[in-house]
Amino acid sequence: MLTIKENLKEVMTGGKPDRFVKQYEFLQMIMSVPSGRVKPQIGEEVINEWGVTIRWPEGQIAAFPVHDAEHILLKDVTEWKEYVKAPSMERSEGAWDQAIADANAVDRDNKYVAAFIAPGVFEMTHYLMGMENALMSFYEEPEAMQELIDYLTEFELDYAKALVENLHPDAILHHDDWGSQLSTFLSPAMFEEFFLESYKKIYGFYKANGVELIVHHSDSFAATLVPNMIEMGVDIWQGVMNTNNIPEMIKQYGDKITFMGGIHSGIIDHPDWSQEQIAAEVKRTCEENGKIYFIPSSCQGLPGSSFPGVYEATDVEVDKMTKQLF
Amino acid sequence: MSKIEEVKALVEAGKSKKIAAAVQEALDAGDKAQDILDAMVASMSVVGDKFSAGEIFVPEMLIAAKSMSKGVEVLKPVMAGDTSNSLGTCIMGTVAGDLHDIGKNLVVMMLESAGFDMVDLGVDVPAEKFVEAIKENKNVVLVACSGLLTTTMPALKEAVQTVKAAFPDMKVIVGGAPVTPEYAAEIGADGYAPDAGSAAVKAKELVA
Repeated sequence: MLTIKENLKEVMTGGKPDRFVKQYEFLQMIMSVPSGRVKPQIGEEVINEWGVTIRWPEGQIAAFPVHDAEHILLKDVTEWKEYVKAPSMERSEGAWDQAIADANAVDRDNKYVAAFIAPGVFEMTHYLMGMENALMSFYEEPEAMQELIDYLTEFELDYAKALVENLHPDAILHHDDWGSQLSTFLSPAMFEEFFLESYKKIYGFYKANGVELIVHHSDSFAATLVPNMIEMGVDIWQGVMNTNNIPEMIKQYGDKITFMGGIHSGIIDHPDWSQEQIAAEVKRTCEENGKIYFIPSSCQGLPGSSFPGVYEATDVEVDKMTKQLF
Repeated sequence: MSKIEEVKALVEAGKSKKIAAAVQEALDAGDKAQDILDAMVASMSVVGDKFSAGEIFVPEMLIAAKSMSKGVEVLKPVMAGDTSNSLGTCIMGTVAGDLHDIGKNLVVMMLESAGFDMVDLGVDVPAEKFVEAIKENKNVVLVACSGLLTTTMPALKEAVQTVKAAFPDMKVIVGGAPVTPEYAAEIGADGYAPDAGSAAVKAKELVA
C-alpha cells in the first residue's frame, strides 16, 4: 500500500494510485501560525488588522466584511496610500514556538506540513473597498488598482518570507476566490493583466524556498483561468465546482495541474445532511472524474465542514468508492 | 454616428465619465429625452444578454449600469413628472439569513436600467418586510427575492409564500445560485432567472 504522499504523487503524475486521495488527508494544516489575522467569533464584529470591519452574525456560516458608508475602509482607490496600511510582520518572542512544535510533530513521510493563507490578493481588493467598487476600479482607475495590487503582493511576499523562515512548510493552502459558481469575476484577459504576475511572484517565492506543493482554493467556476493557474505554479486547484467541466479539464490540463473538489458543499453540508446524500455525491464525482489528476473533496476551503460530521462522512464514502473502483 | 447612437455606444462600453456630456449633446441636438432613455435601455438590454451569454463579466456590467445611471441624471430634470416610461415599482431583497448582496445588487441595477423603480430592501430580509414594502410603496408590480445559500432556500420559499398570501396577484421572481426553475415553480414563484441579465428580461415579461 502506498503512503498518503506516494499515493497523492501517483494521482498528480497520472501514475498508478492504489486508492482515491481522501479530501485533505495529505495536508497537515498548521493553524497555530501567528498570522496576525483578527477574526470575529460568531455574533461578533471586529476591526481586522487592515482596518476592515468584519462581522459574523448569529446563524451565518461565515464572517463578512462590512462595506456600508459608515464602515468601508477605502472609498476611492486613488487614495489607497492614505488608507491602506499593511499590518506589521513583527511578532513577539516565542510567537512561532507553537507552530514550529506542531510542524515538528508531523509525520512528514506521510503528510505535507501546510500553511494557510487567506484572503488572497484579489479578495483583499474587495475586502478593502467592497466588491462593486473594486470591480469597477479595474476599469476606471487601472493604474491605482495595479499599485494597490503591487502593495498587497509585497505584503504577501513578506508574510511568505516569515512562513518559510520559521515554519519551513512543505505546502501552502492559499485562498483567493476568483469567481462565482457560474463565471469568473473578471474576464480571463483582465485577470491575466492584473493578477498573473503578482501570483507568479508569490507562488514562485514559495517554490524557490522549499515549498513543494501549492494548493490554491477557489470554490467557483474558474476553468478559463486554468492556464494562468498553471503558469503561476498552482499544483492543485482546490474547490473545483461541478459548474466547471471537470472531466474535460482533466483531459486538457491534468498532466500539469490536479483538480480537487467535485462535491458542492451546499449540497452535502447543511443541517439536514444525510449519509445517503453524501454517498450519492461522492459516487457521482468519483465515477465522473476518475482516478488520476483528481481528488474527490467537498469544496470547503479547509479540512472540515460547516455542520458536524459531514467531513468524516464524506471520507467514509470516498473509502467505499476506493473499494468499488480500485 | 448620431448623438443618440453615441450615447448608446458609451453606455454599452461603460464610459461613465463621458456619458453626461454625450447625453447633453444629444438633447442639444434636438433628440427627445424619451428616445435617449430608450436607447440607453436598449444598450443595457444588450449588456444583459452579453452577460447571460458569458461574453462579458461583472465589471463590464457594473460600469455600463453606472454609465446609464449618470446619463439618466442628465435626463431627469427634462423628464420631471413624466412617469410614462416607468414599468412600475419592484421590491427586491436577499432573503432572511442570507447576507450575500452582489448578485442582488446586479439585479437591482439591471432592473432599474430596464425601467423599474427599484426599492432595495438589502440583505437578510424577513418575509414580512417584503409585504410591508408592498404596502408602503406606490405602484408595486413585482417582488424579486434572492438567495445564495442552500441553507436559506426555505427562507426563499417563506418569502414567496408570505407575499403570495398577502397579495395573491403580485408577481414574484426568484434567483440565486442554488435556485432552479423547478424549485421556483414548486415554491409558487411566477418567474426564475439564472443571472442578472436574464432577470431583467424575465421581469419585463412578467409585468407586460
